[in-house]
Amino acid sequence: MAQKVLVKMENVTKTYVMGKVTVQALREVSLDIYAGELLVILGPSGSGKSTLLNILGGMDTPTAGSVYFDGEDLSRAGDKRLTRYRRDEVGFVFQFYNLIPDLTARENVELAAGLVERPLPAEDVLREVGLEDRMDHFPSQLSGGEQQRVSIARAAVKNPRLLLCDEPTGALDHRAGKLILGLLARINRERGSTVVIVTHNTAIAAMARRVVRMRSGKIAEVAENPSPVPPERIAW
Amino acid sequence: MNVLVKKLWRTIWRTKGQFLAVAAVVTVGIAVYIAMNTAYYNLDRSKELFYRENNFADYYFHVVKAPQAVVKQVEAVPGVAAATGRLQKDVPVLKEGGGRATARLVSYPLPMAGCVNRLHLLAGQMFTGHPRSGAVEVLVDPQYAKANGLRFNDEITVVAEGRRVSLTVVGTATSPEFVYPMKDAASLVPEPETFGIVMLPLNQAQQILHMPGQINQVVIKLAPGADEEKVAEQVESLLEPYGNLASYPRKRQLSHAVLQAELDGLLTTSRTLPVLFLGIAAAIQFIMLGRMVKAQRLQIGIMKALGYGNRQIIMHYAGYALAVSAAGALLGSLLGLVLASTISQTYARYFNLPEAIGGVNARALWYGLVLSVSVGLLAGLTAARGVMAVNPAESMRPEPPRGAGQTVLEHWGALWRRLGPAWKMTLRAVARNRLRFGVTLVGTVFAVGMLVVSMFANDAIDYILQRHFYREQSYDYLVRFTAPVKESELLNIARLEGVYKAEPLLEIPVKMHFRNRERDDVLVGLSPGAALKTVTGVDGRPLALPGEGMLVSSRTAQKLGLRVEDRVTVETLLGIGPARRAEVKVLGVSRQLVGDASYVSLDLANRVLRERGLVSGVMLRVDPGRAAGVEQALNDMTAVSSVLSRRQELENFQQNLDSMIYFTAVMVAFAVVLGFAIVYNSSVIGFAERRRELALLRVLGFTGREVSGLVWRESLLQAVLGVALGLPAGYLMVLGYARAISSELYSLPAVVYPATYLLAALGGLLFVAGASLLATRGVSRLDMVDVLKNRD
Repeated sequence: MAQKVLVKMENVTKTYVMGKVTVQALREVSLDIYAGELLVILGPSGSGKSTLLNILGGMDTPTAGSVYFDGEDLSRAGDKRLTRYRRDEVGFVFQFYNLIPDLTARENVELAAGLVERPLPAEDVLREVGLEDRMDHFPSQLSGGEQQRVSIARAAVKNPRLLLCDEPTGALDHRAGKLILGLLARINRERGSTVVIVTHNTAIAAMARRVVRMRSGKIAEVAENPSPVPPERIAW
Repeated sequence: MNVLVKKLWRTIWRTKGQFLAVAAVVTVGIAVYIAMNTAYYNLDRSKELFYRENNFADYYFHVVKAPQAVVKQVEAVPGVAAATGRLQKDVPVLKEGGGRATARLVSYPLPMAGCVNRLHLLAGQMFTGHPRSGAVEVLVDPQYAKANGLRFNDEITVVAEGRRVSLTVVGTATSPEFVYPMKDAASLVPEPETFGIVMLPLNQAQQILHMPGQINQVVIKLAPGADEEKVAEQVESLLEPYGNLASYPRKRQLSHAVLQAELDGLLTTSRTLPVLFLGIAAAIQFIMLGRMVKAQRLQIGIMKALGYGNRQIIMHYAGYALAVSAAGALLGSLLGLVLASTISQTYARYFNLPEAIGGVNARALWYGLVLSVSVGLLAGLTAARGVMAVNPAESMRPEPPRGAGQTVLEHWGALWRRLGPAWKMTLRAVARNRLRFGVTLVGTVFAVGMLVVSMFANDAIDYILQRHFYREQSYDYLVRFTAPVKESELLNIARLEGVYKAEPLLEIPVKMHFRNRERDDVLVGLSPGAALKTVTGVDGRPLALPGEGMLVSSRTAQKLGLRVEDRVTVETLLGIGPARRAEVKVLGVSRQLVGDASYVSLDLANRVLRERGLVSGVMLRVDPGRAAGVEQALNDMTAVSSVLSRRQELENFQQNLDSMIYFTAVMVAFAVVLGFAIVYNSSVIGFAERRRELALLRVLGFTGREVSGLVWRESLLQAVLGVALGLPAGYLMVLGYARAISSELYSLPAVVYPATYLLAALGGLLFVAGASLLATRGVSRLDMVDVLKNRD
């Protein structure tokens, strides 16, 4: 099946200069991410997966190589363009949720909704993640799983084409983690958003049709998984 | 070096902006403390010393004239420790260039030992009673000598009893009563060119004034514990036969009153400002360290895990506050000494105090250090208490989201719903950090208030100037005669070329009696419809002069408890002719900013004296191009005692403003330091706390400008509230200050011009904006990648 490429990375290299040490976080990485797919990027810490995510998310630019989003080269884009890109195209889900403590669940979602022209209704999205009863709670009044669901709602409300998740279950217990993965899979399925999950938890790989394994700043392997397992059935 | 000490140094280095900001506030607090205390202490000490050494009088009695022997009787009154009789009289001086001045002849018995109000010789030699040359030797006050270029053996010519008398200057001297040599309460400032104190031996004064064996003043020293009022009453009744003209205690002696007002102002400032500054500095440190302990939770956990005890760690954090205080105390002491020396120099210029006014006040330095360090340590220790709550194991886990809650505003649903998320975030952040916001707000309010107070002095002076020189007295010259003359004689003056308008006046020193109270005052008779002098009411509006009845001075009204329609007894104290008594009805209350007088029609003033058509002076408006000629002609008239020129008065006044501008500038600078430092610190803390959150917003797609806007909202809130509360607070501070330094002789109108409020508001907005901008300039460099990393 000829799939549409949403993001194309070509020979992306990223070098950090930290004091007197130069760290090569990414070495000539090339990767195509298809529109509407759910991709898991696996790798131990230091493998470069976070750097990859940062570049995908428009928070960082490569030292060399190119990144195309829907055909447009982002690797040379300036701050303004990248902000626009993050605003319109990308949703983020973080390991530690990163909700604004001074805003309620609903307001956190509304905050993101206000950034795009045609957001989904905030309350609908919160209902979808099962928080209809906790919309007016502040983050400090929510459990970790609930906070992460708010965070997913915040990302989803923009109806972004690309949903980037950085260790989304990393701080959660097993049950809450599975719930989160289920929500991500549903968004991928129902809304057609491209979902990229970065994790070191190999068990999660089972839910993706394609799995990228990274090691030492390089892609070690791209594995196809012909029969992905629904998240509810994953165990770790 | 101890590792913790090294860590402390690095922390200080990393937070140098905040460190300097707080240290600056401490510096100002300590500097003001040291400067004001040193100035107060030095001035008060030289005053006390001078008063004591020269036997400054406790009470003054003026009579028409009395035999010298009466002094012995006064001395015998129980409660009187010493009494001195003397002659004092203002006489015109004929200057060499043709100008006029007034000399206040004051006599001293020889030998002077044991006399009340002794002289202190500053330069030259003491006068002698019977010099071989036959000259009249005199000493003059140093300001007059300087302003008129008088040197040893120079002659000055005065007119006494219608005769010209030559006096030989043998030196300069001062006395406790001439520390601030102002002619009378109607003068705004000393006028050294046209008014001088001329001191001479009693026998010479008696001869010049044709009063052999006579005196017209008795000054007394009270015995310790004596009842001032009672003694005064007894002395007054003793002097009754000689025509009591005036009697007043030391606190109403003009020079003393001015000096005391200055001291009171210093004391008020030295007691309030440093407390304010140190208190705010302590509050900032408390918040800053509290925040630091929170932010360094992990480090504290590690230190504890390694085996450091609570006490060591608390001392480490309190050490920061200690370093701030020590730096502030050091810089503050240096700045304070510089300021103290400037203030002392200014005083040395304005006050005739022979004892050195300068000098380092070691006690103030020591207290300043102790004060600063203890306040800092207290704030540090209290803030660092949080260290004890840190559990090493827990500290290594990420912190749960900080609690947020509903704010009061949320109860107004309609309003709250209209606010965007940005304002909600701002308001909730403010509500959560109530203490920090409150402290910052208080600091901003005081800083804005201080701006108002600093600039208020200019307003008050300008107001006095405008009202006094441009509204109340629109004459160019005020001419006073040596003795009252018939009004018809004014024609000589009115006809002078260049005189546009001449309006007579009759000034009569009086004592007003009402029920059992009395007060000295000056009754001024003006012709109805006088255009050159406007009498102003308590509300600042002009009052029409009634044909019958009096516009009594507000101070007299207050002292005697007078109301409109009351009838007061006016007793004349002219010194020539018998004292007259008359009943006059009060028809209004007048308020003079400068000087003090009650107003009646010229006709009524004459009737009080049982005379007709007498005038004691004339007000003139002249052609500016011919003013010099008019002045010259007036100076040539022997019957003229003094010529007061408005231009000269204004110039004099302006000269005295220089030092005020300097102090205004210093105070404005201090206010700005305070406002800037507190807003800067609070913004740095707030920004650090929200750094992650703000970076996250950037990740979510907020533009740099939108994120800055968020940060600015809090500053805006701070600035608007700070200014809104700061302006009224400033007015209250002005009222307090004006009250603190006002006395019966001396009052500062609590007038603040709109421009001052505007400038203070603008200043407030500017320092909040500047400080916030400096503190949050990192918005554009927020590290987005950081958000994705695990919390450290």
